[in-house]
Amino acid sequence: MSVTPLIHVVDDDESLREALLDLLGVAGFETRGYGSTGEFLLDPPPDHPGCVLLDVRMPGPSGLELQAAMQQQGATLPVIFLTGHADVASSVRAMKAGAVDFLEKPVTRDTLLEAVRRALARDATLRATRAETQRQDARLAVLTARERDVFDRIVAGRLNKQIADELHISLRTVKAYRAQVMEKLGVATAAELGTLARDRRDVSR
Amino acid sequence: MALITVLRIAALWLVLIQAALAAEPRNVLVLFSNNRLVPANVAVDRGLRAALVNPADRPTQLFSEFLDRPEFSGEAYERTMTTYLRDKYAAHPPDAIVTVSDESLNFVVRHRDQLFPNAPVVHTAAATSVLRALPALPAGVFGVPIEHDHVGTIDQALLWHPNARKLVIVSGASERDRQREAILRRDVPAVAGGRTVEYLAGLPTAEVLRRLSELDRDAVVFTYGYFQDGERRLFNPRDATALMAAASKAPLYGPLDTFIGVGAVGGRMPSFEDMGRQAGQILNALFAGTAPSSLGLPESTPTPLRVDWRQVRRWGIDESLIPPGTIVSFKEPTFWEMYRNVAIGTALVILLQTVLIAALLVERRRRRKAEEAVLEQRSELAHASRLAVAGELTASIAHEINQPLGAIQTSADAADMILQAGGDRRDDLLRIVTRIRRDNMRASDVIRRLRSLLARHAPERNSFDLNVAMNDVAALLFAEARQRQVALELRPAPAPARILGDETQMQQVLINLVLNAMDAVADLPEERRSVVVAIEQVASAIAITVRDPGHGIATEDLSKVFESFYSTKKKGMGLGLSIARTIVEAHGGCIWAASSPGEGASFHVELLGTEGASATTPGLT
Repeated sequence: MSVTPLIHVVDDDESLREALLDLLGVAGFETRGYGSTGEFLLDPPPDHPGCVLLDVRMPGPSGLELQAAMQQQGATLPVIFLTGHADVASSVRAMKAGAVDFLEKPVTRDTLLEAVRRALARDATLRATRAETQRQDARLAVLTARERDVFDRIVAGRLNKQIADELHISLRTVKAYRAQVMEKLGVATAAELGTLARDRRDVSR
Repeated sequence: MALITVLRIAALWLVLIQAALAAEPRNVLVLFSNNRLVPANVAVDRGLRAALVNPADRPTQLFSEFLDRPEFSGEAYERTMTTYLRDKYAAHPPDAIVTVSDESLNFVVRHRDQLFPNAPVVHTAAATSVLRALPALPAGVFGVPIEHDHVGTIDQALLWHPNARKLVIVSGASERDRQREAILRRDVPAVAGGRTVEYLAGLPTAEVLRRLSELDRDAVVFTYGYFQDGERRLFNPRDATALMAAASKAPLYGPLDTFIGVGAVGGRMPSFEDMGRQAGQILNALFAGTAPSSLGLPESTPTPLRVDWRQVRRWGIDESLIPPGTIVSFKEPTFWEMYRNVAIGTALVILLQTVLIAALLVERRRRRKAEEAVLEQRSELAHASRLAVAGELTASIAHEINQPLGAIQTSADAADMILQAGGDRRDDLLRIVTRIRRDNMRASDVIRRLRSLLARHAPERNSFDLNVAMNDVAALLFAEARQRQVALELRPAPAPARILGDETQMQQVLINLVLNAMDAVADLPEERRSVVVAIEQVASAIAITVRDPGHGIATEDLSKVFESFYSTKKKGMGLGLSIARTIVEAHGGCIWAASSPGEGASFHVELLGTEGASATTPGLT
């Protein structure tokens, strides 16, 4: 791992926050502390590997609300929840929303670091997948709008005749587009096109 | 109808008036032997009038005549009196004649055929000797005679003066005096028991008094008094006796009750008033048609022993020798005799007062105990309620303690890792240790505050700052607020808000009000859940206001919310506000709720501030 992961700690309890920052710092991570969800939202994290340690209950918007807000903004940092008092309802809600872990305070060093490692692994995976998707998206980007329309229908399993009807173009024009798409994407068969399309779907899920 | 009634009543009246006119009054002629003013006569008259029944339908008229013996006597006088009485009373012929004392009885008996022979005669105060001297008591003459008891009197006197060696008998010069002297000379020697008997008979009064004044205490004087002395001066027996008693150096006795009070020691004495009364009763019987013989008249008037207590003391008579039944006059009543009722009353009042005071003291004690018990119970209840609140706040309390503990653990872990990693990170370690210390303080602070809140302690009465009190429970309240996702705002007063009372209990009021407000906002959307607590100084008072934007309280429930076990919540016993009220009122303050629709509710507590109080009453500390 070439870059040091950046761990964001959002907790209103100053002592605990600082202790966590110290612990994570000595464990070799870069850290940033926030006293409230608002502080975190005002200072969006850079695109950097890492994760968020989030206190569930804080004055003002809670950790769960922050998690929701982050997802809305498309932020992908994995979230580890810390809570003083684990209640089933909020832990279920947190996990459903994609939280990596739900840790109860006081948290031991090993538990914490283990959770952080898991979160970072998840982050790394997410980042890798996102890179692959972007790469494939870049490949598809060479296609014109018309070629993309034809591509989408080919991978959807349509026959040339059907594609011509749907796009109100001649069968001959469909065949020409098809040849161009395969040439631009560097594949020889329609089956290869299908594989490519499936991979992309998986990544973006 | 009414007219008939009136006529009937008028007729009845006429009948009654006629009856009254028809019954002529009965006339009684009372003939006294002596002068009108002789004390015995006065007494007899009094008794007679007291006893005589005087019915309204036939009244009895008493006419009094006096023979004025011994001043007037002799056959010619008697004839004149007879004629006088006969002629005078022809207009009111007597239905009965009462003779008083010896001479009048003799007079009437002698002249009866000229003096209303048909009228019955009742004699009184006549000596038995007079009756015995009569040949025979004529028909129609009744009465109870006196047996003058000179023997008994002298006998008693000698008993009381056992050292007496001389008996002095004083008598006068009138006919009656002489008769009495004769009787005494006959009777006394037997009773004198060998003592010298000296007779001062028919002497001038001056001589009598001189002789009496020369007596020693070894003498006893006896007298009937006298009507006339040796100088033919007239007396009544009582006055004569009074003079003698005043002069005498020896105790003086006599057999007549009129002598009591004028200086005589006493004697066996009939009562002249009783004699008059006896005569009146005989008259009543006669007029009622009863035969006097059926009255069971005694042989003679009783002669009880009488003494003048002052004389008893003067002559040093042994009180134990005074027989029971003796009629004692002029006895200075003892304190007990004189003020018996007052004394008993006073004692009773004092007793009642004592009992009352004791009862009041007991009552006061009981009330004080009861008040103490109430105070104790209130304190117990408040304590129990605090425990209940603590139970309710367990999660928040745990959080408050857990938070620093978690921080400590993490800090320790960090320090451990720093040490394992080696290198010189002294500054970091110092910072971490400081933090650990701070967190440790935090945790123990929570516990200290909780302990003081939950401790069972006697209610105190100190001056304290409500701001400080609120600050002490702030952590707990904020923890609970966080737990419930309620925005809690505490606004202390800008200056110290000092009140007098129990700090813990006032903290409890704050907690109860805040929890109540948090309950009120529990089902609001999260962004609207807020509770504001404000302490303000309002003139001399300290006001606490707790506001919530909840659903508010219906107007009809505003007063009920402070009642015990009144609750609109699903959980909770409905004691929080009730206890808050109890505490506030025990602090002399008041608590009330206000609510307007759609604007939530506010709870107000007003307490007298110590600053304000001392400001309004300068000089009072």
